[in-house]
Amino acid sequence: MNKSRFLSWLYGETDVMEDILELDETSDESREQLKREKRRLRRELLRSGRAKKVIGAETKGFYALYHVVAVVSCIMLIGVLLFAVANLPRYGEENPETTEMVARYVEKGVEETGADNIVAGMILDYRAFDTLGESHVLFTALICVTILLRLDRKNMRKTYEDYYAIRGERFHDISREAIMRNVAAVLVPCIFVFGIYVLLNGQNGPGGGFSGGAVMGAAMIIFSAAFGFDKADRVFSKRLGAWVTFAALSFYSAAKGYVFFTGANHLENHIPKGTPGAILSGGLILPLDIAVGMVVAFTMYGFYNLFMRGK
Amino acid sequence: MMEWIQFIATAVCLLAGVFAFAVAVIGVARFEFVLNRLHAAGVGDTLGIFLIVLGCVIAAGFSLDALKLVLLIFFMWFTSPVSTHYVAQVEYFTNRQLEKYVRFIGEAENGSDTDGDS
Repeated sequence: MNKSRFLSWLYGETDVMEDILELDETSDESREQLKREKRRLRRELLRSGRAKKVIGAETKGFYALYHVVAVVSCIMLIGVLLFAVANLPRYGEENPETTEMVARYVEKGVEETGADNIVAGMILDYRAFDTLGESHVLFTALICVTILLRLDRKNMRKTYEDYYAIRGERFHDISREAIMRNVAAVLVPCIFVFGIYVLLNGQNGPGGGFSGGAVMGAAMIIFSAAFGFDKADRVFSKRLGAWVTFAALSFYSAAKGYVFFTGANHLENHIPKGTPGAILSGGLILPLDIAVGMVVAFTMYGFYNLFMRGK
Repeated sequence: MMEWIQFIATAVCLLAGVFAFAVAVIGVARFEFVLNRLHAAGVGDTLGIFLIVLGCVIAAGFSLDALKLVLLIFFMWFTSPVSTHYVAQVEYFTNRQLEKYVRFIGEAENGSDTDGDS
């Protein structure tokens, strides 16, 4: 029973969440209308030439190739990872990762990075390349969601408009309510100030780019939920988000590229370290924190925005 | 002497806060309907937080830490009821069998039999 239900959900025949996550009740008219609309769109899609081509490709073994490639790449990945795990040093054995590196981080961390917070020194100085990759993962995820869910005049057809009108009625919009607005008017500035504090304090204490960016993203989400998308779009539009994220990632890459280049070639690094404990300390850590925070904040807000009003 | 008074006041506040949280947890676990559970959860979110943070304020004495803790009470009391309110509102707008659990005051006498569920 359970298995067949799971399988039918897997192949998209039934919706398990039906009756649980539906937001409107009683009249099934709107739902019927949605179903009819979906069926009609599907029929239209099947009638067009491109769909036929895709279906033809499927029958010609494209799907089989897809499966084979997926299995092969999975096996290769598993093999590489198992190989790496097998070559790890044994537990308790002498190896540079557990002795020399940790000792160096603890003993020389403050002196070499200029940051009191040793974790910030590690993730944004010794291992900044890793953090750069993480920021790019966030950016890539945002791009994917944008590609899938973006909704504007270019890709919105007339036939879809009714679809969204029907769907829009089913959600209760809280942005017009006095409680939410007044609470947000008091809270949002406080949260923003706290986020900026966490962001700028990353090299001296707990905090840093990811946590500060998350707090600021939450503030943006509350603002958007309380005052509606129209007002939120005036302050942080999609365009602004894209530009800020792009600029932050470019700055991060350029700055870290400079540091890597000078370090690898034994050149002098001209970035001042400052005195540990001050706000302007830690060399590149503060600017990089700000860049990471911007990326995180706009990624969170972008996710919320796109999932709330996307397709 | 003064330290003993401080200590006892702190302990009383903390124990009372733990009691409030215990009530909240038992209520959330035992009640069946969402609005009842929200009511129970609200006890922990407001009274429990207040008592525990008050105990911490007394323990911290007159200092900057105490001010931060008072701010914590302020923000918790400011946000938690709002979120509870909206969860309750979502329940009100989306539950199909609301009449099973809730008696609307003033409607029962009018005999306005809603044609939702039989």
